Amino acid sequence: AVPCVSGGLPKPTNITFLSINMKNVLHWNPPEGLRGVEVTYTVQYFIYGQKQWLGASECRSISRTYCDLSAETSDYEHQYYAKVKAIWETKCSEWAETRRFYPFLETQVGPPKVALTAGEKSISIVLTAPKKWQRHPNDDTVSMQQIYSSLKYNVFLYNTKSRRMWSQCIANSTLELSWLEPNTLYCVHVESFVPGPPRLTLPSQKQCISTLEDQMSALKV
Amino acid sequence: LRRCLISVDRSLIEKSIPEVKRVLQTKDTFRNVTILSTLENLKSIKPVDVCCVTSHLLTFYRDRVFKDHQETSLEVMRQISSIANSFLYMQKTLEQCQVHNQCQCSQEATNATRTILDNYDQLEASSAALKSLGELDIFLTWIDENHQETSTA
Repeated sequence: AVPCVSGGLPKPTNITFLSINMKNVLHWNPPEGLRGVEVTYTVQYFIYGQKQWLGASECRSISRTYCDLSAETSDYEHQYYAKVKAIWETKCSEWAETRRFYPFLETQVGPPKVALTAGEKSISIVLTAPKKWQRHPNDDTVSMQQIYSSLKYNVFLYNTKSRRMWSQCIANSTLELSWLEPNTLYCVHVESFVPGPPRLTLPSQKQCISTLEDQMSALKV
Repeated sequence: LRRCLISVDRSLIEKSIPEVKRVLQTKDTFRNVTILSTLENLKSIKPVDVCCVTSHLLTFYRDRVFKDHQETSLEVMRQISSIANSFLYMQKTLEQCQVHNQCQCSQEATNATRTILDNYDQLEASSAALKSLGELDIFLTWIDENHQETSTA
């Protein structure tokens, strides 16, 4: 790479890892005051306890403001730093660094897959834990449940007729709700939850299903 | 032989540690040195040795780290003292196990602790203490993961 004068540009800002199911993407904002200037960026990362900074091969002289470091940070029990600098012609900024990143404690666990089946006065919910990021699509799938044995789910149920919300935290992957109103539209969304340091949660898409008509009243008609 | 299991105070993991870690990790400039984080070291601890290593590391934090650390922020000091108190509580629990002979120390367990103490002694005391406090998330995660009924041999 062409040597540049360090400090000739302001640093990128708000550099942080956005991590979901161990897909670890570094994000930053462009340096302030350089609107309209074609800035490029170079990223390096550091494995805590190792000896030196390493270049991120896919993120050298890039113009986008994010860099997928999932492969470089795939050992989720290690801790990492990352840094980025801005380059423009012969000038470059000093490095902007993240704080120490610990994927095992910081990754957001995505929502589970939700399957709903309705009965007359019941809804059965079957949840499938989200998958860990994979380097290649044909790699063996690892469920986030395998990584976090204490993974739990917050299930939210909304009765569209009475407009009342109800929620329950469950540890296993099935839930039978059996005291519902017949012929009523219910909506469900679910969040994954790992006991421990606070993490951002990502709710599942809202899914709605109607309980069946009450057979007894159907016969009376 | 029933395993000796302790539980970690949830507020510690959810509040005190993240706050202490955020402040102290920023001050830790020796990135190429770790105290606990020789993960191969901690990950290799067998279930039968978990009690002994836990006890040794709680003693290490009590007798070395909390004493060597010099803190200026009152808020961080308050969080560290609540961590220290809960470590004392965990140690009391482990002492019961030692009484019932459930806390054997194998050579491997002793070596693992020795490695950690050697790492600590590589640095000047206040830097080593700062780094060890910044690695509390590793220690607490290890305890959480290894003091469960289901953690397999």
